Amino acid sequence: MARETKTFKIIRYIFLIASCIFVIVPMVPLVYMAFKTGAEYSSTGVLEPPKNWLNFYNFAYAIRVGNLGKALINTAIILGVSLFIQIIFTTMVSYVLHRFNFKGKKLIMTLFTLTMFIPVVTTQTVVFQIIYRLGLVSTRLSVILLYSGVGIVGIYIMFNILESIPRELDEAALIDGASYFVIYRKIVLPLMKPACTTLLILNGIGTYNDFYIPNLYLRRDVQTFTVALYKFFGNMATPFEIVSAAILLGVIPIGIVFLFLQKYIYYGLAGAVKS
Amino acid sequence: MRQTKSSRLLIVLFLIFPVLHLLIFSYIPIISNVFLSFTNYKGTGTPKWIGLKNYKRLLTDPQYVMVFKNCLWYMVVAIPQLVFAFALAIFTNGKFRGLSIFKGILILPYLLNGVIVSTIFIIFFNNSGTLNTILAALGLNTANFQWLQNLKLVNPAIASISIWRYYGMNFIMFFGALQTVPSDLYESAAVDGCTKWQEIRYISIPAIKNVLFINIIMSISGSIQVFEIPYIMMNGSNGTTTPVIQIQQSAFSENRVGFAAALSILVFLVVVVSVGLQRILTRKMED
Repeated sequence: MARETKTFKIIRYIFLIASCIFVIVPMVPLVYMAFKTGAEYSSTGVLEPPKNWLNFYNFAYAIRVGNLGKALINTAIILGVSLFIQIIFTTMVSYVLHRFNFKGKKLIMTLFTLTMFIPVVTTQTVVFQIIYRLGLVSTRLSVILLYSGVGIVGIYIMFNILESIPRELDEAALIDGASYFVIYRKIVLPLMKPACTTLLILNGIGTYNDFYIPNLYLRRDVQTFTVALYKFFGNMATPFEIVSAAILLGVIPIGIVFLFLQKYIYYGLAGAVKS
Repeated sequence: MRQTKSSRLLIVLFLIFPVLHLLIFSYIPIISNVFLSFTNYKGTGTPKWIGLKNYKRLLTDPQYVMVFKNCLWYMVVAIPQLVFAFALAIFTNGKFRGLSIFKGILILPYLLNGVIVSTIFIIFFNNSGTLNTILAALGLNTANFQWLQNLKLVNPAIASISIWRYYGMNFIMFFGALQTVPSDLYESAAVDGCTKWQEIRYISIPAIKNVLFINIIMSISGSIQVFEIPYIMMNGSNGTTTPVIQIQQSAFSENRVGFAAALSILVFLVVVVSVGLQRILTRKMED
């Protein structure tokens, strides 16, 4: 690093602290509101802290009325199943496309690559008809099915790691009589684990936060947390302080993930870009 | 690897479901959309061919032209967003006290879902909300700042939320690009007596250039696909409708599937052009 002058250091801290204020200030009223009573909410300004930080009434109310517990379970099921399928399929596709030569390989690779030109939002007019005809509208399966595709970013991440696994390893196992499936399962898959973690985090955040697909396909009992929150908040009768409490509850899972996986989030996302 | 019977079986088994998924949920729908866009399909019955009528309507009816114009705001705010993310990447590059705390706070907005961000910014832009409270404290008369009701202010206001929501993603990418610079480059620059400014100018900016370019294109392709914030906050009211909100409304509330298909194809074309441009130009830069 070049010699950092004192001025540079001072500017750095001023800039970073100002940036953090820019990030935090919009969130502050939400936290305040979650602890305010209804009367307090209407009589105080948004930037005035609540009188009683131990007022958990709003949280209890949100859990009771908003059906949020159920929504969180739905999200967990959808997230768990679709991420599992997605990642297993990604490793399988990448293994085959990286290690074997066969007719149509180029075409298949092109098909996977070109999906980045087809945004999800431009195909739902037709996809909805397909899901409808399969009788899957408003079932968890619809969303799981749509989330279970293999993306090109995932393939690239896997390719990066496959490149570093020597082919001699595969060949030695083959000579020892291992089948191709055993090679995949016992040699390649375990070595792909770090790439799977990256993909898990990338797609996990994306899927947990997705609104478009679950809002389109899921009603009432099967809706995800994001949609439940939206319905809760779109219902004008719900007081804002209750909505705020519900949101804080929803941030908790992200907060936990974030605390433990911050390092992976940074390197996962940065790694995805490089490839 | 040599092909044998068992390898062929494995290839087929490993590829069949993902490829079918790809065809059924991406390729068949987009191709059907091209066909449907020339019809007046209502979701049931037989589609009737109406030629370019849907497209003509979309490109001439002011109601729909506005929908595309709204996207321009989202492209405009991408500029300060990228500048901000770039500055953050420059200032967080290196080792100093508090780095991981700063990084932790700065990534926060990117982890929040659209409903949470919308709620935060409804409170923020309300007439007696966070922004007006701050402006009033600074001595401004906020009676005229009805951010979400004033038709001139509402689109720039909600578009600017993208800065807060997405700069984190740009920042991580820039940050990642700077990590790839070999540290001896900085060391030799230091030996040569480089100033911090020269280091940024001649090492950091070139290192980020490609990623910056990818981010610009991603912003353009993202702007045409804006949905969550205007939908959740405004339900498309006060002239905040975007193409994707319009697709949803036409296809699923009004059953004008053919019309929605035409709109989808227009969005698709914008994405194709911008992503295609990105691919071509990044390849050129690599050469």
